[in-house]
Amino acid sequence: MTYYSGKDGTLTYNGSSVAKVSNWSFSSSVDTLETTAISDSDRSYVPGLRQFGGSATIFYYDDAPKALLEKIVSTSAVSESAVAIKLGWGGKYVQGNVIITSGELNCAVGEVMQATIQFQFTGALTGVTL
Amino acid sequence: MSPQGPDFPSYVPSSRSLAMGDFPSKTFTSQSGIQATVQYGNRRTGQTLDLAYNNTTEDIAAAVYDHYLACKGTIYWFFVLEDVKKGNSTFHNQSSSSNGRYSATPWGMRYKYAEAPQFSSVKPGRMSVTVKLIGVLDS
Repeated sequence: MTYYSGKDGTLTYNGSSVAKVSNWSFSSSVDTLETTAISDSDRSYVPGLRQFGGSATIFYYDDAPKALLEKIVSTSAVSESAVAIKLGWGGKYVQGNVIITSGELNCAVGEVMQATIQFQFTGALTGVTL
Repeated sequence: MSPQGPDFPSYVPSSRSLAMGDFPSKTFTSQSGIQATVQYGNRRTGQTLDLAYNNTTEDIAAAVYDHYLACKGTIYWFFVLEDVKKGNSTFHNQSSSSNGRYSATPWGMRYKYAEAPQFSSVKPGRMSVTVKLIGVLDS
């Protein structure tokens, strides 16, 4: 039985591994559409649209998370083009095209500076190995 | 007399709303403020029945679409069957009689489309449909 931990985690951005990732998370959800009819006594649903999202925290040094942050922290308009992200652990992964929806820089006394990004996947995942 | 169309598709809606209409009458108000109301008929008319089919299948949406065409839009009258009136059995427990509360035939009243049905696409394979029917007296 193989367990995985943080040391197995990787974050790949447009094919390049992002260094110094502190953590990442991934979530998926599907909407429910109500189909209850008047004569029913219990609510019924069918699955609606599915979506994926996630976040990552990266230790900031030199320009480690620069490419990701510049998607949203920039003087120019936000580009409409999505970026390819791959969240991996061991030999497993989920990957897809994302839009960076928020970027946050944290600088505090006694702590290493970190950048936190949140992202929303657009379209279906392009690869999944669980 | 307008022609009879096919019965309304027999599917239980997600929501249903009934407005009773009224008896034909006219109210006269004199200069002194006294009102007199004259009843012109003993048969209620103008009853409206709003139906909604939320997140339903394309088959049900297509059935409503085809029924509207078969009834030539708002021209033909038709009957509304039991499934459409399901869910409030004590309210329309006389639905098969001429006095049934949801019945399409109280005092000879039949239903027509008050306006064209509305179709909203929700996702592949699922649509929402709203229908507004009006009861009419037809000789």
